[in-house]
Amino acid sequence: MRKLLIALAAVAAAAIAVTVAVGSSHREAPGTMLDPSADDTDLYAFTAKDAPGSLTVVGNWIPGQNPANGPNFFRFDDRARYYINVDNPGDGRRDIAYRFQFTTSVRNPNSFLYALPGASGYDDPKLNVRQTYSITRLTYAYRGRRVHVRERVLARGLPVAPPNIGPKTFPNYQAFVNGAVRNLSDGTKVFVGQRDDPFFVDLGATFDAINVRRLTGNQGEGKDDFSGMNISSIVLQLPERRVTKDGKAVAGPDAANAVVGVYQSTERRRLEVSDRAGIAKHRKRHRSHASGGAGRWVQVSRLGNPLVNEVVIPLGKKDQFNRTSPDRDAALYGTYVLKPELAAVLNALFRIGAPEDNRTDIVQALLQGIPRLNQHAGIRGPPAVDTLKINLGVPPAATENRFGVIGGDVAGFPNGRRLGDDVVDIELQVVAGFLKGNRVPLGDGVDRNDKDFLSSFPYVAAPDSGFDSAPSRRVEPSHPPVGAGGS
Amino acid sequence: MTYSARTIFRFATPLVVFGAVLAALTLVNRFDAAAPVVPAPAAVGGAVADRAGGDRLQELQRAIAARPDDAAAYAALGEAFLQRARETGDPGWYARAGRAFAAGLRRDPRDLGALLGAGTLANLRHDFRAGLRLGEAAHRAEPALARPYVVLADAQIELGRYRAALVSVQRLVDLKPGLASYARASYFRELSGDRAGAVAAMRLAVSAGGTAESVAYVQVLLGDLELGRGRVGAARDAYRAALAAVPDYPQALAGLARAAVAGGDLRGAAARLRRSVARLPLTTNLTLLADVELAAGRHAAGLAQLAVVRAQRRLLAAAGAVPDAEAVLFEADHGRPTRAVTLGRRVWRSAPSVRSADALGWALTRAGRPLDGLRWAHRALRLGSLDPLFRYHAGIAAQAVGASAEAARDLRIAVTGRGALSPLAVRRLEEALR
Repeated sequence: MRKLLIALAAVAAAAIAVTVAVGSSHREAPGTMLDPSADDTDLYAFTAKDAPGSLTVVGNWIPGQNPANGPNFFRFDDRARYYINVDNPGDGRRDIAYRFQFTTSVRNPNSFLYALPGASGYDDPKLNVRQTYSITRLTYAYRGRRVHVRERVLARGLPVAPPNIGPKTFPNYQAFVNGAVRNLSDGTKVFVGQRDDPFFVDLGATFDAINVRRLTGNQGEGKDDFSGMNISSIVLQLPERRVTKDGKAVAGPDAANAVVGVYQSTERRRLEVSDRAGIAKHRKRHRSHASGGAGRWVQVSRLGNPLVNEVVIPLGKKDQFNRTSPDRDAALYGTYVLKPELAAVLNALFRIGAPEDNRTDIVQALLQGIPRLNQHAGIRGPPAVDTLKINLGVPPAATENRFGVIGGDVAGFPNGRRLGDDVVDIELQVVAGFLKGNRVPLGDGVDRNDKDFLSSFPYVAAPDSGFDSAPSRRVEPSHPPVGAGGS
Repeated sequence: MTYSARTIFRFATPLVVFGAVLAALTLVNRFDAAAPVVPAPAAVGGAVADRAGGDRLQELQRAIAARPDDAAAYAALGEAFLQRARETGDPGWYARAGRAFAAGLRRDPRDLGALLGAGTLANLRHDFRAGLRLGEAAHRAEPALARPYVVLADAQIELGRYRAALVSVQRLVDLKPGLASYARASYFRELSGDRAGAVAAMRLAVSAGGTAESVAYVQVLLGDLELGRGRVGAARDAYRAALAAVPDYPQALAGLARAAVAGGDLRGAAARLRRSVARLPLTTNLTLLADVELAAGRHAAGLAQLAVVRAQRRLLAAAGAVPDAEAVLFEADHGRPTRAVTLGRRVWRSAPSVRSADALGWALTRAGRPLDGLRWAHRALRLGSLDPLFRYHAGIAAQAVGASAEAARDLRIAVTGRGALSPLAVRRLEEALR
């Protein structure tokens, strides 16, 4: 009887499959707009303890890398362009950019194996799929509405560290990591490849209408949805003189060149759809035909401060936000920051008295920079731009406080962002009104990443291997309540 | 072919549908006892699904309980249901998604997520006029957003509104180049006879990537394009890449089968098709399997497969499903051509696309009315399509009415892409060329 039931269940499952398949057999392309290979997820900018004269930037792309899902999808798109952008006067336009372009080669095109067991290094023929990249430095000179761009290729053919498939395929994965750390002639250090996703959040609790598991989220017990998940990182360590507006090192926190803004972005190519049939012949030329030729590059995503796109920008404006440059942020999206929906939601749920209007405090903390800390010098009424602003003259903290600036640790978010900064808790508390004296100890119950970060380059923890992965398992231990800002 | 899922749910109790499909499957499995019955591919969920973990549905339902008037919460739940439908192949999730979107729209008729979700679902169920209406409403609500153009373009193409579709697809590519927009640009190029351009755009879609299932899907489309222009080796590579993305992906197995047919390997083709239909008994592939068995001289097996397809179609039609161009072609080739003509006119009225015109034309030709058939074939070719199937249908009709130059041209184009045709079509094509 039991066996029969199982058999029936199997038939039912397949039967069901038939009807869906039959119902969708017309020619249709996937409707999903999910675009992981262009999706920038998190940006970090900090001064590393072991590299005090440099700006260290970590840009992450391609979310959702469950190590057990196999290595084939976690790859930068060879036909896209990836950027780390630097804005040094603070006007929201990029002045310096590092562009990464990728090339994938397959040694044995008849094999779909990523690598054969025992692959030991980039030159080992057992490594079947190899991705390399070039890094180009662009400098932008603005004259009125015109921009002059200079490009210089810094290096080509640098290896991307492969996904960590497992100890049988890669008995010495660290060899790939070491081989992917490169020093360029201008003093820049670079690493590109798979890493552990350093972001930590109880996503279910946060996006389920801020349904924290144990109020008010300051006693642990949160479930880290990103533990055990990997990400693709670009890690850059740039000597200060390569990013400051005067091309010089930073003398101290009060120096005029101390603050730089950083954001990451991705571009893809547009194309002319085609009109062989001449069906649009008698129609006025469509605007897009006039505004850009085939092959023009289109920015499809960008990111500065954490969670701005997710929490601040409404659904209908997300594509536009991703297409536009930070210099237009105040005009296009300022209202969503001044009157954040999240504040209203928090009040509806918890009655915490968060101010709902005229939130210039948030605009300043995230978009203008904090005066005498990470506000760009020499700019009057600093524009609100979504760049991650860091004062390079502030020395790294001996002991990091996960609450960063609101916890009294000025070397952390929003003065740049370190890997361990608890941006979810910080932003919840800031939106609740921390900077206006309404100190509510909100949080998501997850306080730290599941893995320790490295004390040296590339800082981000090693990725879990597909062999021994266990995604989304870590639960923050219960602990006594922590006050607002970690007090 | 198509029986719209929506009509199934409207007219049939789940029991009827279950019974229908159970009957069809019993027939399938009688002839393929060795093949295991497996549910649809457990797709690698999207980033959001992966990020949120398995209990996302529960959390979304709790969110609705907390904010029962929030239209967006219902839309998010509907989206999650659609994702579940993709992952499990269970159309029950379509019905639930439909109810969630409707609940969202009742609370806010302009809610963007609910409009987009309902429009996507309408297209999935082949209610393209509803898809168009909902896509337009979503576009009016948020003119700067790319996704409404996806819903719009899909509906416009199936409704034969190509001028509008071109504008939509171009806007989509301009706003958001990526897998979804490149694949649609490719389809538009293919429809207008730009095969090299279609391949180039599809390669961009493959490179952009996405979830495993969408990558496998565009790889199969790339393979089909290559097969249609006679590049069997390149087609095979694409199908294999799809299988690397999603093991046993039914459409890729069927693609490899077609490539095998093109190479004269009917046995290998049949074996792959049996595996494909055991995985997912798609009517297209069951029909092709029947044709392959017949061409290999295995008449009993071929006729049995045709009986399976007939049973599937009859039962689904009894459940109130609406047929599409493929059903018309099946009736024209394997049933009664006069009935195919009637069916073809119905299909044309609901989806006046070049594909529907081609099917109706072929039904007329098969029913002994090649002059009418040719007239419809011309409508099917009005964008300049080089689709081997369209050209084969047009060529046979032209030959029958004595338009020999036109016939020779179309049949030559068809024979180049013979890999995309069934063995039955290839045999007729070769006879016509002699």
